[in-house]
Amino acid sequence: MKTRKSGLVEIALLGGLGLMAVLTLTVPQHLRDHTPDALLSLSVLLRDTDSSGWNVARQGMEQAADELGAELRFLTLTVQNDTREQEEILRREVEGGADAVIAVPADPEALHGVLDRLTADCPLVTLEASAGFGTPFVAADHAEVGRCLAETLLEDWDGGEVLLLDTSKACPEVTPRLKAALDVLTAAGVPAERAAPPDTWSDWRWVMAFESAATRQAAAAKENGSDSFSLYGVGSSTAITALLERGTISAVAAWSDYAAGYLAVEQAVEAVRNRPQTLTPLPFSIVRGEDIYAPENQKLLFPVTS
Amino acid sequence: MTFFRSLAAQWAQRYRKMSIQMVLSLSFTAVAAAGILLMGVSFLWRFSSANEQTAAENSQRILAQANLSLDSYLRRMMRIADTVYYRVIKNTDLADGSYVEALGLLYEENRDDLVSLAVFDSRGELVSAVPLAAMKEGVRPAESEWFQAAFQNMENLHFSTPHVQNLFDDPNSPYRWVVSLSHHVELTRDGVTEGGVLLVDMGFSGIEQVCRDVTLAKGGYLYLVDSGGELIYHPRQQLIYAGLLEENHRAAAGYRDGSHVETFQGQTRQVTVKTVGYTGWKLVGVAPAESWLASSQFLTFGLFLLVFAIFLMAFLNFLISARIADPIRRLDRSVKALESGQDVEIEVGGCYEVQHLSRSIRSMVSTMRHLMDDIIQQEGQKRRNELEVLQSQINPHFLYNTLDSVVWLTEAGQQTEAIQMVASLARFFRISLSKGKSIIPLSDELEHARHYMNIQQIRFKNQFTTNIEIQPGTENLYTLKLIVQPILENAIYHGMAGAEDDGRISVSARREGDDLLIDVSDNGVGMPPETAASLLNPDRPVMQTSGSGTGVHNVHERIRLTFGEGYGLTIFSEPDEGTRVRIRLPALTREDAARCQQEGDVL
Repeated sequence: MKTRKSGLVEIALLGGLGLMAVLTLTVPQHLRDHTPDALLSLSVLLRDTDSSGWNVARQGMEQAADELGAELRFLTLTVQNDTREQEEILRREVEGGADAVIAVPADPEALHGVLDRLTADCPLVTLEASAGFGTPFVAADHAEVGRCLAETLLEDWDGGEVLLLDTSKACPEVTPRLKAALDVLTAAGVPAERAAPPDTWSDWRWVMAFESAATRQAAAAKENGSDSFSLYGVGSSTAITALLERGTISAVAAWSDYAAGYLAVEQAVEAVRNRPQTLTPLPFSIVRGEDIYAPENQKLLFPVTS
Repeated sequence: MTFFRSLAAQWAQRYRKMSIQMVLSLSFTAVAAAGILLMGVSFLWRFSSANEQTAAENSQRILAQANLSLDSYLRRMMRIADTVYYRVIKNTDLADGSYVEALGLLYEENRDDLVSLAVFDSRGELVSAVPLAAMKEGVRPAESEWFQAAFQNMENLHFSTPHVQNLFDDPNSPYRWVVSLSHHVELTRDGVTEGGVLLVDMGFSGIEQVCRDVTLAKGGYLYLVDSGGELIYHPRQQLIYAGLLEENHRAAAGYRDGSHVETFQGQTRQVTVKTVGYTGWKLVGVAPAESWLASSQFLTFGLFLLVFAIFLMAFLNFLISARIADPIRRLDRSVKALESGQDVEIEVGGCYEVQHLSRSIRSMVSTMRHLMDDIIQQEGQKRRNELEVLQSQINPHFLYNTLDSVVWLTEAGQQTEAIQMVASLARFFRISLSKGKSIIPLSDELEHARHYMNIQQIRFKNQFTTNIEIQPGTENLYTLKLIVQPILENAIYHGMAGAEDDGRISVSARREGDDLLIDVSDNGVGMPPETAASLLNPDRPVMQTSGSGTGVHNVHERIRLTFGEGYGLTIFSEPDEGTRVRIRLPALTREDAARCQQEGDVL
């Protein structure tokens, strides 16, 4: 009995010894052979005809792509906000094998519709505007932006009607911002009118723009004409900062385009690797002209570039 | 506590049931495993400690190199400031000339590193500046931190933290990040000196170039902070400014020069700090714990190696313990076999103690066997002696009857028969004595039988006849004495009980191989074979009464005790047919008989 038991123990020990010898030789090799994730191909679709307005966001995207193992293709439209062209480019990119698409949509719903019709599984991340249907998007809280901007205007307001520039046709994200601002102004008893950028600005003492192009357009009108309205806008580009510094713009709602670009790429990469993250709205600040050199605002408005 | 007691009791119980080999194997393996584990942990600790030291030394070396580069860069900037001050400002009277041309030359010479050169008077009014000369509206340099620092500490150069330059009106609005070097200077205007500030705005790229390409092992990096912990350069500075990343720069500013281990956001890392001369800035190198701690691959390999070593030790221990335990196990088996009554040889093997134990047990077993043999022999001899004594005793009835017959014959005047009877009785007794010998010649034994039969024939008035035959050549063989007479007695008293002058008892002796056969036959009443067999049954109770076959049984016992199991009596009998008792003995020569006699005496 004992002999049989000893034999079994001996066989078990020999088996274990053999197994450990094999594992000792193979497992570390197997661990060492672990290949890094392949470089992902991400397409960035803009709604502008050039990407100069997205330089800072692009830096953030490139930083994220460098850290997370992705390469970026920046694609612009031949005509500003051309929905059909953007749809066509999206289709081409997805069919061309893009791992994920980051888009600043001209028409978010149309863009999502294109993606739905395609069979390829390609995550879409949008900047500024949401494409809806659970598509992740990187942007500030639009309603909160509109509300804070309106409250800033109220601090200065001393009478007169406020013009709310409605440029939602070109920029879908304008709608919720504008609506929130309108609500605040109405609640405060401030007369406000929602309208497209007018030809003549002299009728207005107070103007609110809800996206950077409209802000620049209104500022340009103010600088070029003899009009003296107070302008409240959105944006953190160098041009807008210069206008803010010169006093053309009274205050802007600004957030870090660098952070937006970084987060968009990060979200896209994680979606491809099936590790989607929960996105929170980008933090933003209301910056007045006299505060742009405050240390925190310097960090927000001026990207650190060599 | 109860749990541990219960555990200890369980182990004690298991220990008692374990074989010595298993106990040795487990003990050796446990000790070896503990040793290997201790060595492994010690090795790992030493390895990590040495790696940490190496990582720290590497970081310090790299930081020293980066410090040299940064120091060189800052000294160049300081030389520019000195050049402006000592060669331009001190040599120029503002009433007669301007600094612009000389500043322009210096700026052009160092434009890759400089953003602007400017001189302000004590009120903060711009005196000269290159490359831009127009200041922005509303700018008040005198309120700037760099301006005030220069006036507060006039002897020294002052380096600001990075900030966006906002002094000059640039139509392109580049908004560059700069580090401002400010220095209190003395301006000469119309022969009168006044205080002023020299501002050298260094481009951020110069510092970035020094720090950017410095990398530490395993994703480590370098950053630069001022003495207050404000970031000057960080490879992911914009992410930090955007709030997407955090750095422990304020704590790092409080560290002394050297390497420190800190835990930040759950990550253990080695932080090496080197203070940049003059400015008080600090270069901070961050190396993740992976750079000195053993990697998961190494740990996995080490773990498998450890388990492999433990298995190897277990296997070797098992073999070694088997070699040690085998002799003890064989000894144990032998003792068990002995206990069960088997006759086994105790094997001597193994180490000294086991050999000694085996020899002792073997010696003890041998002594025990001899003692047992002696006891058995003594018991046999004692029994044989008893039987012989019993056999040699004259039945008083036989003696009384014989003497009574002699009296009766004498009274009846049958002198011849009386004399013959007395003579036979005398001869009978003489052979019975045989000088105390137990083995006598066959001829004497048969002579003894003849005299006995003579006496009995006279007594029983010749109711039966007797015939004694001896095979020629067997006369000189020897036999145990008094073995035929008891059988004859049995034949007379039981076989011839109903005979009427036709009884016949014959004795024949012959040799068969090495055996001597003596047959005693009668034609008496006989008996069933079962009864005949029962007479020699060893379990038959010993009875010393006449007529119960005791004499026959005693003869059988004496022969077997003397010569062994192969010898003795065999009874062939059938009712009304008669009985034949065969005595089988070894055919003993004179020498054999003498030897047997001697051994019997010794015993």
